[in-house]
Amino acid sequence: MIEESNNTIVAMMPVRNESMRYLKRVLEHLSQWVDKIVVLDDCSEDDTVKLARSFEKAVVYENERPLFAEDESALRSRLWNLTIRENPGWIAAIDADEIMEDRIIDEVRFLIDQDYYDAIYFRVFDFWASQTHYRKDGGWDPWTKFCPFMVRYKPGINYFWPRREIHGGRFPSPCEGFAPYYSDIRLKHYGWANEKEHYSKFLFYRQKDLKLFGNIRPHTQSIMISPKSTDLEEWKESRRLYFLKEGIN
Amino acid sequence: MAKKVGILTTNFFSPDGTRMIYGGAERYGLELTRLLLEMGYEVSWWQIGSGWKKEILPGVVINTIPETRSEFMTFPNFNQHFYEQAMDVDNAIYFVTFLAYPQVLEKSISISHGVFWDYPGFDHQLPTEAERKEWLRRLHIALSGPQKVVSVDTNTINWINATWPGLSHKLEYIPNFVDIDSFSHRIDHPGKVRIIFPRRLTAVRGVNEAARAANVLTKKYSGKVEFHFVGRGHSDQLEGEALKWASENGGIFYYWQPPHMMPEIFRHMDIALIPTKGTEGTSLSCLEAMAAGCAVITTPVGGLTDLIIDGFNGLLIKPTPNNLIDAIEYLINDEKERNRLSQNAKLTAEAFSVDRWKQKWKKVISEVFD
Repeated sequence: MIEESNNTIVAMMPVRNESMRYLKRVLEHLSQWVDKIVVLDDCSEDDTVKLARSFEKAVVYENERPLFAEDESALRSRLWNLTIRENPGWIAAIDADEIMEDRIIDEVRFLIDQDYYDAIYFRVFDFWASQTHYRKDGGWDPWTKFCPFMVRYKPGINYFWPRREIHGGRFPSPCEGFAPYYSDIRLKHYGWANEKEHYSKFLFYRQKDLKLFGNIRPHTQSIMISPKSTDLEEWKESRRLYFLKEGIN
Repeated sequence: MAKKVGILTTNFFSPDGTRMIYGGAERYGLELTRLLLEMGYEVSWWQIGSGWKKEILPGVVINTIPETRSEFMTFPNFNQHFYEQAMDVDNAIYFVTFLAYPQVLEKSISISHGVFWDYPGFDHQLPTEAERKEWLRRLHIALSGPQKVVSVDTNTINWINATWPGLSHKLEYIPNFVDIDSFSHRIDHPGKVRIIFPRRLTAVRGVNEAARAANVLTKKYSGKVEFHFVGRGHSDQLEGEALKWASENGGIFYYWQPPHMMPEIFRHMDIALIPTKGTEGTSLSCLEAMAAGCAVITTPVGGLTDLIIDGFNGLLIKPTPNNLIDAIEYLINDEKERNRLSQNAKLTAEAFSVDRWKQKWKKVISEVFD
């Protein structure tokens, strides 16, 4: 049953050792526009669980053994199953280093309370070695690609997952066919904002590339190639549509 | 068993399937699809593309045909592929008139969304007399094939009647629609005048003139005037540039919204700019602006004169930056006149209700398909 009003939206998020990164900001932001946040901790060795539990809207689960490093889709699948227990109208897949532009706070209600589309796609901006500039060369170009971050939950569908070790997608396969809407609200990804993390991430993806493809893909190689200054652009947050609140008592 | 309707269009999505175009024609397509579903038909769409398939509404799939070649503003190979592939389709709608060349299904309707050969760019696309003659020959065939040609404006009908009087019996005037009920009361915001450009950011829609007006007037009326550019660009690069431009000027906003959200946006706006320069029918955006009670500034192009009578329910201008600036400034400074135009526009919009549009379309569909 597709609802045109009063839909709930539940965020789902896998986490591991995030307490000293962006998790607090991410959960503070999410708390402003979602109804609940289902957090699945993948065996953190720091205070991630404690931090997540300090948020009123968070529902926190813990894995008994780490899943991400061996099979990302298994982790995503478990998270999905835990999330649908909350009977959500919509599900947002947000990672612990991602924050939507503030516009979402005023507009999420309008985006989900409709019966025209079932998936919302957003552009992702990778902040590079800073929290002020994003990378835009080659495969990092944020303007040319939209990815799904919100889907309507339809209880009648037989959901299943692609078997992929990495980049298997955040939603089950049937969601790929959902009627889409491409939003201009942007997603800020801070996963590359700390230059000190680049090498360890490069090693992780290099190992996966070699195992899965037998070679290191150009996008993975580009992690260790410093972008030219012209390949970095200063982030300018879009203005919130403050006027949408006018007339609401 | 439900009868099947196949709808042929050029691009609901971009040919690679990554961008859904949310222009007026695509919104028209969605509404027409819903009407056909209500009438008990099964609906499928075809467009140019590399072989991908997508659902555009629950249960309604858009198929793609990898055929991009165009000749004399027609797509004969695309038309033929559809003709051959749509064997299980009982009825066809050619969503754009020229897609009905050279051959149509026995029960078929085509739609004219307005004259598209009135823009200067058209002339150099068919620069010789011979090319122009061939285009006209093909257009005549495309208009002759379907049993009915639905035209969204009287401008097209008058042109066809003046050019080929023998086709007049096929022509049905069904102007575009607006869902009056989705527009609730306007929101007051004293001391602020909000101006909206509710179109795709393309030259033919007058975006450059509107941008020039925004630059001038946000400086002159700083703090009092806001410009909202609400629509997708024709490229990712342009959208990035527009966002950057808006972020550098406090009075200018750039964003886009899903169609169902536009009534909510319009109720906060005072003046709507439709400074189009060509290829226009009875603009959905213009109708929405009218239904919302905006004072409309537009141009005597295409079907816009079916909607706006200059000085009664809006202003008609020749689309130059200075004319646009003068007209906007006139309405910024004369609230009484703004309100008079706005009230008349709102009243006029009622003649273009979605219910009337559906009734007229139902009649045509029943005559051709049943």
